[in-house]
Amino acid sequence: MRRPHDELAHALAAEYVLGTLRGAARRRFESLLAGDAGLREIVARWEAWLTPLAGRVPPVEPPARVWRAIEARIAGRAPRRASWWSSVAFWRPWGLVSSGLAAVLLAFFAYFSTGPRTEPVFVAVLVSSSQQPMGVVSMHPPDVLRVRVVHDWSNMKDRSLELWVMPERGAPRSLGLVRNEVGDTMITIEPTDPRVRDAKALAISAEPPGGSPTREPTGPMLCKGMIAPVQRS
Amino acid sequence: MTADPAAARLAMLLARTALRDRGAFEQLYGATRAKLFAVSLRIVRERFLAEEVLQDSYVSIWNHASGYAPAKSAPLTWMMAIVRNRSLDVMRRTREEPDIDDVLTQSLADERAAPEREALDRARAHSIRSCLEELEAEQRQPIALAFFHGLSHSELARHMGRPLGTVKTHIRRGLMRLRDCLARAAITEVE
Repeated sequence: MRRPHDELAHALAAEYVLGTLRGAARRRFESLLAGDAGLREIVARWEAWLTPLAGRVPPVEPPARVWRAIEARIAGRAPRRASWWSSVAFWRPWGLVSSGLAAVLLAFFAYFSTGPRTEPVFVAVLVSSSQQPMGVVSMHPPDVLRVRVVHDWSNMKDRSLELWVMPERGAPRSLGLVRNEVGDTMITIEPTDPRVRDAKALAISAEPPGGSPTREPTGPMLCKGMIAPVQRS
Repeated sequence: MTADPAAARLAMLLARTALRDRGAFEQLYGATRAKLFAVSLRIVRERFLAEEVLQDSYVSIWNHASGYAPAKSAPLTWMMAIVRNRSLDVMRRTREEPDIDDVLTQSLADERAAPEREALDRARAHSIRSCLEELEAEQRQPIALAFFHGLSHSELARHMGRPLGTVKTHIRRGLMRLRDCLARAAITEVE
């Protein structure tokens, strides 16, 4: 026989598994679950009922880097997930793509540049992990670094985006925050500044509001690109 | 569940994963990653986020494989529940909304001082599909949208052009009708 609270338990367990129980209600339900074996059984039953529906979803292959990351995490080799910048992998796969794209985009720049009046001394095209160009950074003498976002991150509106310069050796250095909207952020810095002088690559990470609290990237890397010096003919 | 050779293999791989067998865990990943990635991708919608969900979920599977109870659920069901939960967690950070269900959750906390165990029955995949088909479209549609795409009550209301209260009622009634249908199906199977 079902008692009224069992009806309620079923209703909530069902919406928990379905995913419509959200926010504070979901968290409260989870804390109830932790101490209530009977409720866990009801949830398990709803999972067994509803989950087979997901068998209808056509499979999608994840990229190989997911397994590499899992392997690293279970091996304890990367206890801090944020240390993407210190891995050799950061430098390997995307360099050629980015500098190739940079050459192409330079032409685009010459025509549509609206901000700085001088020609850039270097450019970098920042691409996402799926190779989509997300931003273009260009260094204009005497002291303007322009960060042009071409695609914003709609799922990261509650975070701050921070631009990092990657030297050949050592930790990344912050160049400041970048607005999460399509358009330009201008950063005042000279090309001879030690932060950019020996730079090899640039990257943008998602950080807590206001930027990284530690002076090093703490959030996931959103995009990166190698710096391509502009050849003068 | 063990009648299904694919499920039996996954259960074996999970058991070996619980014993810290990396090779078994890699095979488990190979056998399930595309399915689980697809499930997460539908809910979180961004590849970048879905990759994070997948990563976190498999680390969690590695860490909690010993907690998997073959008697209670099929291995893929158990893994999918982890992925779906993690996907919903990641999403609610960006799309959180206040919800009156909190009141219900609170009253459940008060009422369930002495939980009563119910016998655990089980239904097969075809049951949920045929039971869903028994529902009226207005109940079936929001349930399917929520399940596959992670839509919240208010997103469902907007999407379907219905008042929020109406959509919630349809979901609740639909789910309870589903339960009754599935419980019937389970009894029929036993007989």
